[in-house]
Amino acid sequence: MQEIKRKYVVPGDRIIDGNFRPLSNVTKSGNSIFATRIGIAEATRDGIKVIPLSGVYIPRVNDIVIGKIIDHSSLSWQVDISSCFSAHLPAQDVFGRDFSPARDDMNKQLAIGDLVTARIMAFDRTRDPMLTIQDKDLGRIPRGEFLKISATRVPRLIGKRGSMIQTIEQATQTRILIGQNGIVVVSGRNGDGTQLAIRAIRMVEEEAHTSNLTQRIKTLLNVPDPQPTETLTEVAESEDQKLIPETVGQVQEELEKGD
Amino acid sequence: MIQTRNLIDEHGLRTDGRTTDELRNVKIQVGIVKNADGSAYIEFGKNRIIAAVYGPREVHPKHMAQPDRCVLRCRYHMSPFSTDTRKNPAPSRREVEISKVMREALEPALILEDYPRAAIDVFVEVLQADGGSRCAGISAASVALADAGINMRDIVPACAAGKVDGKIVLDINDIEDKEGSADMPLAYMPHLERVTLLQLDGILNQEEFNECLDKALQGCKMIYEIQRKALIQKYFGDEQELKEES
Amino acid sequence: MSSSRRSTIIVEHLRRQQMTEAISKSKRLDGRALDEMRPLEIELGIIGKADGSSRVRLGSSEVVAGVKVETGEPFEGLENKGALILSAEVLPTASPYIEPGPPDEETIELARVVDRGVRESEMVDLDKLALIPGKVVYTIFVDCSIINYDGNLFDASSYAVVSALMSTKLPVFEVQAGESVVNTGKRTDPPLTTIPVSITAVKIGDSVILDPTAEEEACMDARITITTNSEGKFAALQKGSTGSFTIDQIKRAAEIARIKGEEVRTKIKELTNNGH
Repeated sequence: MQEIKRKYVVPGDRIIDGNFRPLSNVTKSGNSIFATRIGIAEATRDGIKVIPLSGVYIPRVNDIVIGKIIDHSSLSWQVDISSCFSAHLPAQDVFGRDFSPARDDMNKQLAIGDLVTARIMAFDRTRDPMLTIQDKDLGRIPRGEFLKISATRVPRLIGKRGSMIQTIEQATQTRILIGQNGIVVVSGRNGDGTQLAIRAIRMVEEEAHTSNLTQRIKTLLNVPDPQPTETLTEVAESEDQKLIPETVGQVQEELEKGD
Repeated sequence: MIQTRNLIDEHGLRTDGRTTDELRNVKIQVGIVKNADGSAYIEFGKNRIIAAVYGPREVHPKHMAQPDRCVLRCRYHMSPFSTDTRKNPAPSRREVEISKVMREALEPALILEDYPRAAIDVFVEVLQADGGSRCAGISAASVALADAGINMRDIVPACAAGKVDGKIVLDINDIEDKEGSADMPLAYMPHLERVTLLQLDGILNQEEFNECLDKALQGCKMIYEIQRKALIQKYFGDEQELKEES
Repeated sequence: MSSSRRSTIIVEHLRRQQMTEAISKSKRLDGRALDEMRPLEIELGIIGKADGSSRVRLGSSEVVAGVKVETGEPFEGLENKGALILSAEVLPTASPYIEPGPPDEETIELARVVDRGVRESEMVDLDKLALIPGKVVYTIFVDCSIINYDGNLFDASSYAVVSALMSTKLPVFEVQAGESVVNTGKRTDPPLTTIPVSITAVKIGDSVILDPTAEEEACMDARITITTNSEGKFAALQKGSTGSFTIDQIKRAAEIARIKGEEVRTKIKELTNNGH
């Protein structure tokens, strides 16, 4: 790996000189790469990037998000996905192609205030994100405790190949749904387990950038620790792996069994 | 500007005890407004100013949205108790002008093309004013924008220099603003080395003008270090500890 | 003209469920009892240039109040009294739902209710603040800037105004030759007679709870703000929002407001060192 002059960066900081490829949250000017956000600068095989530590969630196609129904027109629901854009969920997605506003009551399926797990089907610079709840493991969330964390901490909360979130789930006997947009829903059989899980999630959010976090979480949860710890940068490298559907899948299955 | 007294005494000290090259005390705290996406509180001499950023967020009304970039909106506003005489809460012409030059000072540093059809709102609230409040406001707003995770080319510090008792001095206070002979606020992007705000009230010859510009620039560089430190402190803890860790 | 509109905060269905469950067990989502206030913090003198100032944090709601004392004409019909002018502004920093602009009906109501609490309780003895009766009197401006909104701005603003007034150092003006007034440069304590304390409660379902958070306000159907003075007497009242209370609920709320009001009054005295 190339040597980086400064690891912790603020906007405008020069990260490295040389002919490197600029990836996310950096900009190339002349022969140098500069950070454009507060975060941790990283050099990878493909280039230089900054893992951001703050910022509103920006939608990406295929992300799984948890959204709140806030309104509906005759043809779609308007969904707040805690982003800079409101998303919409077409009624046809739920009722099928022969949806008719006269016959089908949208409120019966999804009412204002309901939370849904959805996938972003389409989003580009010219229109608002469009959602679907048709895939397996998506849909209305019937119960659980709701909390919101910064979207930038989600990769750390999930962990490499889901390791962090599974550790928390197993130790607290809970199922945890996580949206890439930072919305989290925790459901458990007993109140204590749920509260402990929430404390662990808050700890991850606050200390995502520190080393030894996994160890401290395991201490909090009273879990023995045979595995080596991982850092935010290692986790970020595994970001591209399909972690979320697995986790969501586990939860929906459990909830359906319990109904 | 009628001068009624000496603003620099026989020892070269100003009304608040500073030398001609000294900056007032500056303190910045990051993230103090819970609901905002980013925020900063600055104490700059006796100035007490809060900057809060909401964004990127949806534009209301929708027709104001731009297809290829983000809309930046800035508001500079003074609380009624912030000035010597109580101020009417309705926006004055001065506040409207400062809101505009503040936006124009910050806009070049933001990568607005990254957030098409959205808006970023910057609110600068002056709780107490004491000369140089627009510079303090811009400095706080830059930190709040970084705290909000907005893509930025640079952080923007701002500082004023002026002419008082025939000498060019750094960072003029309220008394010097009212009774001195020139006031030049400057905002600057330190890595890109570009000026984004420049105003002048008063009379300066060519030499004084250049000196004033250089002095204000010096001030900006000092303020930049304070801005940077405040952000590192909030996000990464003590810089000393960081050095030891790596 | 005032018109109905839907509340801008839409509370998640799951949160509402949790809230109702908790209230049925006499608890709230943040663990408080139904009649428990959030932690109160008061910092005095943060605006050195003002004659009195205070920053109040009630939970996460944050308000700064500043007092500026000048001289001016008395109000019509009140020629022998000093003038007290109170205003409030919810700054656009306070919440994502606030738009900058002239104060809306909610903000104006807020300012007027806080004003009523201070004025009707006669906290400031305005009779002592006339300089040249009919011509020149003390004019006391108290302005609130609301910095962060997390519910119950009525009480947060009221506590900020009251503590700012308690800690005010009044500039002493003197009448010269019966014609003009001059600032002597001296300072004195303002003539205060009582410490008004407001307590706000909201109704959610059939339960009445004190000091609502923003989320609880978004779920409420009615609200009541009750101000008592140091003798436990009622000085001002305001019912708000579109729901209703029974007479019993109001009597009960008034009693709680009196008792809790005294607790908060003790706290304010302690935190402001009685104004010094």
